[in-house]
Amino acid sequence: MKPKTKKIITLSIVVLVVLVITLLLYKVAGKEPFIRTALSGLTLGSLFFLVAAGLTLIFGLMDVLNFAHGSMFMLGAYMGWQLYTNPTFIFALLPHLLAFATGVMLLPLIKPTLVRMKLPEKWVNAIPKITLVLALLLAVFSFIGFDILAYAKTAMVAASIATAGNPFAEITPQEPFATYWIRPVLIFLSGLLVAIASAKPGNKQEFAVRERLSKTLPVPVIFFILTILALVVRESAPKAVLLMDGNLRFAIAVLVSIIFGFVFGQVVEITLIRPLYVRPTFIIIMTLGLSYVIRELVQLLWDPLAYQMVRPPFAAQPGKAANLLEWFQKGSSTLNIFGVTFPTYRLFVIALGIVMFIFITILMTRSRLGMIIRAGVQDPQMVEALGINVKSIFTLVFALGVAMAALGGIGAGPFLPIQPLMGDQYQTQGLITVVIGGMGSYVGAFVGAMILGMARAFGDYFALKYSLSTAIAEASTVIIMIIVLLARPQGLFGKKE
Amino acid sequence: MSTQTPQNDLLVLEEIHTFIGQFHILEGVSLRVPKDSITVMLGRNGAGKTTTLKSILGLTPPQQGRVIFDGMEIQGKHAYNIANLGIGYVPEHRAIFRALSVMENLKLAERKKGDFDKHEEFIFNLFPDLKRLYKLPGNHLSGGQQQMLAVARALVPDNKLLLIDEPSEGLAPILIQQMMEAIRILSTTTTILLVEQNFIMASQLAQRFTIIDDGKSPHSGLMSDLVNDTELVHHYLGASIKTRKEMELSHEAEN
Repeated sequence: MKPKTKKIITLSIVVLVVLVITLLLYKVAGKEPFIRTALSGLTLGSLFFLVAAGLTLIFGLMDVLNFAHGSMFMLGAYMGWQLYTNPTFIFALLPHLLAFATGVMLLPLIKPTLVRMKLPEKWVNAIPKITLVLALLLAVFSFIGFDILAYAKTAMVAASIATAGNPFAEITPQEPFATYWIRPVLIFLSGLLVAIASAKPGNKQEFAVRERLSKTLPVPVIFFILTILALVVRESAPKAVLLMDGNLRFAIAVLVSIIFGFVFGQVVEITLIRPLYVRPTFIIIMTLGLSYVIRELVQLLWDPLAYQMVRPPFAAQPGKAANLLEWFQKGSSTLNIFGVTFPTYRLFVIALGIVMFIFITILMTRSRLGMIIRAGVQDPQMVEALGINVKSIFTLVFALGVAMAALGGIGAGPFLPIQPLMGDQYQTQGLITVVIGGMGSYVGAFVGAMILGMARAFGDYFALKYSLSTAIAEASTVIIMIIVLLARPQGLFGKKE
Repeated sequence: MSTQTPQNDLLVLEEIHTFIGQFHILEGVSLRVPKDSITVMLGRNGAGKTTTLKSILGLTPPQQGRVIFDGMEIQGKHAYNIANLGIGYVPEHRAIFRALSVMENLKLAERKKGDFDKHEEFIFNLFPDLKRLYKLPGNHLSGGQQQMLAVARALVPDNKLLLIDEPSEGLAPILIQQMMEAIRILSTTTTILLVEQNFIMASQLAQRFTIIDDGKSPHSGLMSDLVNDTELVHHYLGASIKTRKEMELSHEAEN
């Protein structure tokens, strides 16, 4: 049989099966419950997709299964939630992070000179190790006496705006500048030492072109200016953020989550995963361990409690909107869809998932980065031979995946309890999604996520209706995975090995 | 072989040793590639020709010895840095990217924006077929078309040196002729280091040869001398030399 006719037959079978199942569910559940449950399914599916998209891209390109993905989803939720309700925490840390980044960003500036230094072999090996240890010590010193726990535990200001009289009384005061200034300086030096270590002074195998100052200088200078800014606004910014329009504040929170995920992903890939590419099984154990470390740190900072994030104003006003237009005008919390009352915030989550799917599709099919990823999945060595730095592409893809998980986390924030274990379920479902959709396929991740979301939602609905155990809903996803694996071991959209 | 590096040598290998895993694949390969010429590496299967190319590029970095490209030592540097110095690579088995269209395969090879536009006319004059197949995904191309694409890909950026690994492998005789013609045209503008099992093709194209045998390079010199030295040819290449008739037979068997 021709591959094309085979494809058409498979496709029509799939469409037929989907139609039959949809009709069956519609008949059994009735119109209103069907619509409500289907929308819930789409909401879940959206979140599953945001987790699975990163997992599948990372697996497809680098064969890395990131078992810390759920923890990164959870961290994204915490970071966005902190900016939304307790900006003191983020603004207290910002000068530190930016000062460190300024130091690291000096790397392209100093590398050509350092690499060309003539040093005895002994020193070439020793200098990176010594500088890294020094950098670690400096970083630790820069935090001594810094009461980070207090900033993390500042009462949830925005939550209390409605109830308490003066929310700003609850903001933990920042350290006075006279004692604070030494911290950014120390951590800047620490960053500089990291840059020196990664420049590998005197190493003959390294290669660094001397570039013009106009190319290498702007980035560290920008970071330096940002550091100064962050130092200056340390006190005033948290109040300003809290006084902002809620929707704007939510948008900034989403942005903070994405940026945090992107930077965190880069740091994890460069420091923890890159040295282990030669030992793939170690990566699994390492990421698993990392997820525990992240969870414990979060519990230390915010206690093992569940927090509720307030919905942003565009989906929080009491009342039911009759149509989309009315929702946009009034910001109602619920919306009438074909006679069904549905929370508007969940529609926002569905939209988020679909927008991200479109974004990834465009990225993969239209951009040079997408071309490199698709080529790298097949043959990273040949991509390298074309003159492309594959290692840096790996870092970028990992960071993108983590950023997407963090986006999922903040997206889920306003309707899931924010707690240290919130990502675990999404990671498990994300892994199942990746298996169903086919390892490495983002289209598969989307379709798989929607199937799983529907299965969960309808499983819950029928379990409730016929008073069965809700375990049925949880088992349904695994059952779907088994069926798919039996019929198509490579997954719905996977390629045969 | 002399260890000095004459001015007109674009690439010089000095006694390189390469390990793959625990296997000592190259045990001291030396060769030189003069500017603006075709140099061919000859030798039996498994002698280390492909590993030599990969060692030059840094895909399997040599542990010992020196690789000097354009007057600069490049051994041990990252492969992408080496490629960016101006070395194009056409791997064996035509490792084109199957998931990418012909256009994307070519665009991916750009090192600067606009590289492809600059050489588009030259490439499509050399391989008119590719223009017609522009939008087709790589996995829909025939073997010959894939080989052309693999060579075309190396022509997109400005390269000083092309490393071409067995361009005639598995091609029909008429395509071999076309490929030979293309390589001859290329050699007027760039330097080429070729690996070729097909002795007839190699002897017609190359000015210089280096014999690779068992991870060493026992002989090198001018091609015109080798053609007359039947004893040397049979000693090192006996099994790998094929007459035209044998090649046609094996091609039919493949189809």
